[in-house]
Amino acid sequence: MAENKEKLLEMYTTMVRIRTFEQKAIDLFAAGKFPGFVHSYLGEEAIAAGVCSNLRKDDYICSTHRGHGHLIAKGGNLQLMMAELFGKATGYCKGKGGSMHIADVDLGILGANGIVGAGMPIATGAAFACKYRKSDSVAIAFFGDGASDRATFHESLNLASIWKLPVVFICENNGWAISNAQTSHQNITDISDRATAYGIPGVSVDGNDVVAIAEAADAAIERARKGDGPTLVECKTWRHRGHFEGDPAIYKDPKDQEEWLADNKDAIARMEKKLVGLKYAGQDYLDKIKAEVREEVEAAVQFAEQSPDPEPAEVLTDVYTA
Amino acid sequence: MVSLGIIANPASGKDIRRLVAHSITFNNQEKVNIVQRAILGMEKVGIKKIMYMPDYYGIVPRALDGLPNSYHLHVQLVEANMEMTGTQEDSTQAAEIMNQSGAGCIFTLGGDGTNRMVAKGCGEVPLLPISTGTNNVFPQMLEGTTAGIAAGIVARGLIKKDAAVKKMKKIEVLKDGQLVDMALVDAVVLKDVFIGSRAIWDEERIQQVVVTRGDPISIGISAIAGNLQLVEINDKYGMAINIGPGKTTVMVPIAPGLIKQIPIKDYQLINPGEEIKVAQGPCVIALDGEREIEVGENDNYSLKISLNGPRVIDTRLALREAVAKGLFISEQLIKTS
Repeated sequence: MAENKEKLLEMYTTMVRIRTFEQKAIDLFAAGKFPGFVHSYLGEEAIAAGVCSNLRKDDYICSTHRGHGHLIAKGGNLQLMMAELFGKATGYCKGKGGSMHIADVDLGILGANGIVGAGMPIATGAAFACKYRKSDSVAIAFFGDGASDRATFHESLNLASIWKLPVVFICENNGWAISNAQTSHQNITDISDRATAYGIPGVSVDGNDVVAIAEAADAAIERARKGDGPTLVECKTWRHRGHFEGDPAIYKDPKDQEEWLADNKDAIARMEKKLVGLKYAGQDYLDKIKAEVREEVEAAVQFAEQSPDPEPAEVLTDVYTA
Repeated sequence: MVSLGIIANPASGKDIRRLVAHSITFNNQEKVNIVQRAILGMEKVGIKKIMYMPDYYGIVPRALDGLPNSYHLHVQLVEANMEMTGTQEDSTQAAEIMNQSGAGCIFTLGGDGTNRMVAKGCGEVPLLPISTGTNNVFPQMLEGTTAGIAAGIVARGLIKKDAAVKKMKKIEVLKDGQLVDMALVDAVVLKDVFIGSRAIWDEERIQQVVVTRGDPISIGISAIAGNLQLVEINDKYGMAINIGPGKTTVMVPIAPGLIKQIPIKDYQLINPGEEIKVAQGPCVIALDGEREIEVGENDNYSLKISLNGPRVIDTRLALREAVAKGLFISEQLIKTS
């Protein structure tokens, strides 16, 4: 995989796309351009990019409240995403869901989720469907360190392990459950240790190293496709921002924050240095990628701004089924 | 003065060989249990002061916390005064501090990779390595209690060190002729460009191998040598192997539960000091089972065997020597020795 230049550049581009989208969303939200909430994925881009680089269109993901990165990495349309953040009728949920409820079933995106830990049972169910239909598709559940304390985590791993379901549990351990440091809510440091309780493999990887993540995810996804059952992959990372936009994150030690944001830890800076060092891409080529992504994101903003608001009469459409 | 050091690596035994091979996950609570039993063993043979490496899980403090409230431990435990980085460099730094503090033995928990980092800092202090890693050629599968007793006996000098301590070989990694790194068991040149998840499991990427030892009982890269020709710990040479079609193929347990046919282009026994040039980059050098060094296309790396590796306690020999001296007949003997 590491010699696959195209895949490395694709993962790099995905990380840049996520970061650019997130930075724009932060700025727009701060400027009062759209309502609701934003939980930024800045700093965790390598996880979504590394995991989803191994997925097919017919694989499924279940995302979280911090879900923009997962949706982008699985191929989500930036214009429809941005329009949804703006609450516009052209958005993924016709403007009624906002940041935390974006879904695109055609792309296998079974939804972001406003409830912590709620994606895991859905992914487990999707994995059951894959197995029941005898397809070799897999499901991915993204969740955080805080969610791994919830019953949904334990129930999902338990059921998935008993039925050997094709699901990969990706724990994005960014060290914070809202404002609680991991040490204050867990008596362990490596969440992968919890896999042993369910008789499945669990591994920990550097969550800011997109190659390490892609390698681990590739191995876990292959296991799932072959019918060998679920895997827990813990990616150790750091949330650049507060829990939500508006949270000043005064509970973080500024020294830790500085260390994690430095170029030797930041996933994008590390990958950029490596790609240039290997002569897989010149700096000018990488700058061109960044410029193109900026244009994509600007186009998404323009699309959102120019889109109409939902009609009041639409308020109950899609809310109830017959 | 510190009588003994403990370095327990909380990150060992968790890499992706749990997915691509059949390695077990070594959870940290098990490491806590081993350390607890070892400390109780050390205490019983009169160790008074133990220094330990701080780690993000707190293996040693948890081991103490897990003792019954009614138990009064007669050992003082002190944390090594160091800035924790949360990286493998912590093990080297802790070993240096323990060496400087006069420790008579360093008790380690980890795999080959952990012990490699300890060996960089321990100097002549003998190691007692307990296996909690993935590739465990250097450390031994031992019960914590008896290993703790053996470590304590050696650290206190209750037996002659020569009777149970062996000097190991090592592999020196040179860049432009200058020493830049080392390995205890094996150095492997891989057709790769990234360190990535560190583990090695794809035999098709292996280009060159240099080992200090090769035994068919081993798992991992050194078993390639071991299944070609035995290279013992005490032999004053190592082996260099070029991988690829040519001379023969050999069946090797390349990782736990993963048995492969490895094509061998050629191999030779190599004497200490004999330099083996690393293939032209880009490639990656893995040391003791973990990808460590990214080699650029213009870099000039070489590998050579040295007889000046760390000293390691043979636990079985240490305990037998203690029996021969009658140390277990009476606790009094241990107290007064």
